Amino acid sequence: MKVRAASLPAGHIDRKGKAIRWSLFRRLEFLFALAAVGAIWQLVSVAVGNKTLVPPPLLVIEAWLGLWRSDLPTDILASLVHLGIGYTLGTLTGLVLAILAARFIVVEAIVDPLVEVLRPIGAIAWIPLAILMFGISRSVPIFLIFYASIFPIFINTLAGVKQVDQQLVRAGQMLGASPRIVVMHVVVPAALPFVIAGARLSLGVAWMAMVAAELTGADSGLGWRLFWYQEFFAMDKVMAVILTIGVLGYVFDTLLRRLQARITRWSPESALSDP
Amino acid sequence: MTDAQRRWIPLLFFGSVVLAWEAAVRASGQSALASAVVPSPAGVAIAAARTISDGTLAAATAGSLFRVLLGFTIGAVLGIPLGLLMGFVQPLNRAFGPIVDSLRSIAPIAWIPMALLWLGIRGNAAVFIVTYAAFFPFVVNAVQGARLIDRNLVNAARALGARPALIVRSVILPSALPAILTGARISMAFAWGSIIAAELAMGIKVTSGGSGAVGLGQLMVSTLYIRRDVNALVLYMVVIGVIALIIDFGMRRLQRTLTPWRQP
Amino acid sequence: MNPKIEARSLSKTYVSARTGDKVEALRDVSFSVLPHEFVSIVGPSGCGKSTLLALAAGFALPTSGEVLADGVTITGPDPRRGVMFQDYALFPWRTVLGNVEFGPFARGAGVEERQAIARRYIAMVGLDGFEQRYPHELSGGMRQRCALARLLANEPEVLLMDEPLAAVDLQTRNILQDELLRLWGDDGEPAQRRAVLFVTHGIDEAVHLSDRVIVLGRRPGMIKEIVAIDLPRPRRAVRNSAAAGAHVEHIWSLIRDEAARAIVEETV
Repeated sequence: MKVRAASLPAGHIDRKGKAIRWSLFRRLEFLFALAAVGAIWQLVSVAVGNKTLVPPPLLVIEAWLGLWRSDLPTDILASLVHLGIGYTLGTLTGLVLAILAARFIVVEAIVDPLVEVLRPIGAIAWIPLAILMFGISRSVPIFLIFYASIFPIFINTLAGVKQVDQQLVRAGQMLGASPRIVVMHVVVPAALPFVIAGARLSLGVAWMAMVAAELTGADSGLGWRLFWYQEFFAMDKVMAVILTIGVLGYVFDTLLRRLQARITRWSPESALSDP
Repeated sequence: MTDAQRRWIPLLFFGSVVLAWEAAVRASGQSALASAVVPSPAGVAIAAARTISDGTLAAATAGSLFRVLLGFTIGAVLGIPLGLLMGFVQPLNRAFGPIVDSLRSIAPIAWIPMALLWLGIRGNAAVFIVTYAAFFPFVVNAVQGARLIDRNLVNAARALGARPALIVRSVILPSALPAILTGARISMAFAWGSIIAAELAMGIKVTSGGSGAVGLGQLMVSTLYIRRDVNALVLYMVVIGVIALIIDFGMRRLQRTLTPWRQP
Repeated sequence: MNPKIEARSLSKTYVSARTGDKVEALRDVSFSVLPHEFVSIVGPSGCGKSTLLALAAGFALPTSGEVLADGVTITGPDPRRGVMFQDYALFPWRTVLGNVEFGPFARGAGVEERQAIARRYIAMVGLDGFEQRYPHELSGGMRQRCALARLLANEPEVLLMDEPLAAVDLQTRNILQDELLRLWGDDGEPAQRRAVLFVTHGIDEAVHLSDRVIVLGRRPGMIKEIVAIDLPRPRRAVRNSAAAGAHVEHIWSLIRDEAARAIVEETV
């Protein structure tokens, strides 16, 4: 008995054309809004009259372009190094802890309350202690980022593993899968959306921790550079760095968001988000 | 393992960790005094007794909380109407949504240098940071709240003969309230986090004295650089965490009281 | 003929982890399923039907008594006893092809071999053309077919089915019932048929499909009667005959009162 292919949507090809037109439209809207904000900014700057207090947009762009030839590449690199080391170590730690906690209930009974107690304190409150331990150096941001990254991924991974539908596990078993195959080919794929959501949240807090830690306890990186320019009252450069921080943060989040979309392609369900 | 057993394990574990920690510190010859290099549970307790009795802790906490409340309120007053407007008027949402998203992705504390220049060092800069941090969750959640308003409910009210003012009061506001309260809870959490960060930054980077009322962040900095009291630092961290918990608990309570129909 | 599945004085009592309360789900249940038989289990809500199937599948162990497959005590799940779940339990991250080939994959078959096996069964259930679809893109009836293909691709000796048609609408249900009969071998030689243990709420469904119907009562789950359905095969052609109706009426009379009580007592 043949089944008719009734589920192929009508106008399947037309949909793709529509999608392209829509994204173009949205980009135009965004540019328009951008222009509007730029115009308002310019007006405010002219009204205030003081180029140091409110640097006009063009000045900032000029400063930004100039910075590319001097300090910006070094600063970006330094910040990325802080982020890279801290985030990688932090997420790995969080993942391993979550897997152990899922597997051994004793581990969970200890680590989970620890997380509940430490999380409200926040990474930022650790800054003075970190400065005391490491002195003003790159270790402060790396430590802060590492610490901050652990929590979201731990919480989300543990929740993800726990919410794996037991029916799926049983289905795997009755199809003849060994315990190893059940873990690798049922539990892991089922928990993956939560893991990636946790990784994305970890990146968010890591980014915040990076800025705060560099601002207060480091001697390199974009955050540190903010105060460096401020001391010379080069506010156009300060704005340029602020914008760079914003854009970079947005870019990283978008990358992870795309990855998340690809991994959860098969599932209409959404994962945990904070709070 | 039963539930009861599960609750004892962390208590036993942490209890023994605390005891072992204290014992180790004592054994290594360090005292529990302010000159200690490594924090110890007893040292933290002593620091607590001192800062509570001489009022510094209370004053600093009050200073920080005041700024948080101020920034939170301004953020709400600015953010909720904007969010509701954007939620109702779709073109506005499409146009300014990306702008809001982009600004949101700039960490609030990155604005400290500009804020210091604009508002001076008297602590208003910190309020600006808090306002910035609290503003966005209100906007985002108010947009959600506006979108979630069910047209059917509005029509039902109209069919029952309600006039616009009554519709706003009894359908629109209650519909949007859960989302707005969620935004408030998130804003409070962000606000508390940002005030500490802002005060830390101001304390560390602003070398001239007279920064207005001292908040917890600034107290931590002065403890770090002047007193060098590591036990007090740990104490302040604990206080920050406790207040964060109280805030969250209080906000959730508020949510349950004001919107009892909401399913968790 | 030796029974394929045999339950001897099966009892199962659950203990709530939180409160410590005991719930007696099954008490002293004994029956057997012969190698080419289709046996259904019906009963009011809360009578332990699904528990019984879980025990037969090896997902749970009895508190007392035993359940045997081919004379050997069942201690865990096994591909020879394939299970069809109520919500299909398809792997959402795998395509139709990926799901159906999972059994052969788990047992070490190579890529070409398991894909060939999978395609054969996908065609058998009428899903050819949909190999690359994900479960969330399929309708309920199609998911059911996919789950069935996944099950059959392992060539199990026994099929254990837990209310597989509960989630589809009535018209689809009737069509799928006949599909199931066809795949099972309703119009072929009895020796070609596999043993089936089928749990359902629908008495008419049970009568239409089965050779025998086990009627369970509730609280605790005990066998009220095992009804032999002597209707001729193939059954696909005829629905709602007078003889079938008589069987349905008989079984309904056994559980009507308990079913009414279950409406009030059972909580979600």
